[in-house]
Amino acid sequence: MEGASMTGSIAAVGAGIVVVGAGLGIGLIGSAAVQGIARQPEAAGKIQVNMLIAAALIEGVAFFCAVICFLGK
Amino acid sequence: MSTNTTAAIASTVQQKIDSVQAFVMHHARNSNEFSLPYLRFELPSYISIHGLMVVLAAVLLLLAFGVFYRKKALVPTGLTNLLEMFVVFIRDEISIRYLGDKDGRRMTPIFCSFFFFIVVMNLLGLVPGFAAATGNVSVTLPLALTTFVFMVFGAIFKTGLLGFIKGLVPSGIPWFLAVLLFPIEVIGVVIKTFALTIRLFANMVSGHMVLFFLLGMIVIFGMKAAPVIVVALLIYGLELFVAFLQAYIFTLLSAIFIGQRYHPDH
Repeated sequence: MEGASMTGSIAAVGAGIVVVGAGLGIGLIGSAAVQGIARQPEAAGKIQVNMLIAAALIEGVAFFCAVICFLGK
Repeated sequence: MSTNTTAAIASTVQQKIDSVQAFVMHHARNSNEFSLPYLRFELPSYISIHGLMVVLAAVLLLLAFGVFYRKKALVPTGLTNLLEMFVVFIRDEISIRYLGDKDGRRMTPIFCSFFFFIVVMNLLGLVPGFAAATGNVSVTLPLALTTFVFMVFGAIFKTGLLGFIKGLVPSGIPWFLAVLLFPIEVIGVVIKTFALTIRLFANMVSGHMVLFFLLGMIVIFGMKAAPVIVVALLIYGLELFVAFLQAYIFTLLSAIFIGQRYHPDH
């Protein structure tokens, strides 16, 4: 078999890479937040609020790039 | 002979995939049809379903806060208590915390409007047959532009035009850093607005699309894919959470951005 080729659009590959970035980022935030709560359980409320804010910001960037991938296809 | 049937099966699967994709794309967009199970009617060309949902959300909120809210009771119960819980949360944790006491109390109505309006529009999207109006950029962009107007013109009213321009960069940094930071901050104001609209829009649209594609698996693969219903129910629960979370995040980020422009000294 020579010259095997794939068809489709590379925007889907881009969307997959965006998901990897977002997953890693939010996973890091989650792990830091959980460690912070483990060290000081009485600050759990504040840590949770900050974790949600940071996760939403990262997800915002991820969605922004996902929309661009959609438009690209 | 077997290649013919394989090709025939593949083409019907491809047709099913195409029809599922067409269904999902049609439901993610705005259209003039309003369809419930077994009942479909075509709206006049000047009413679209997202517009209908915006008006419906406004009417529901007016009813909840105007008619069903008991102002005269000294001790709030039921719906009054629930609404007051949310309003007090927005006033204390979002508005006063990021804008100070005086401005916080004055700006609480706009943040309550953001939160309740967005949450009701998001929740209406989860009702079968209705659509999420926040899944349309024409709805989220004006909401973010309201924040933009407060960020720019509200800050100009408060601190003066020169104060606004000086407040864009932190005080007490050397002049070459300030010159470098100034364009970034100016673009940052626009990008924050843009990010607010895209975050809300993409969260709502993607949630619905995931749900529809998952259920479309049943169309493509037949009843063998029936266990996908459990996953769809879990994702529906996640969508419920995301509806509230995205409204909270929009309100919170608006308060943070407006607070940064109103009180630029910290």
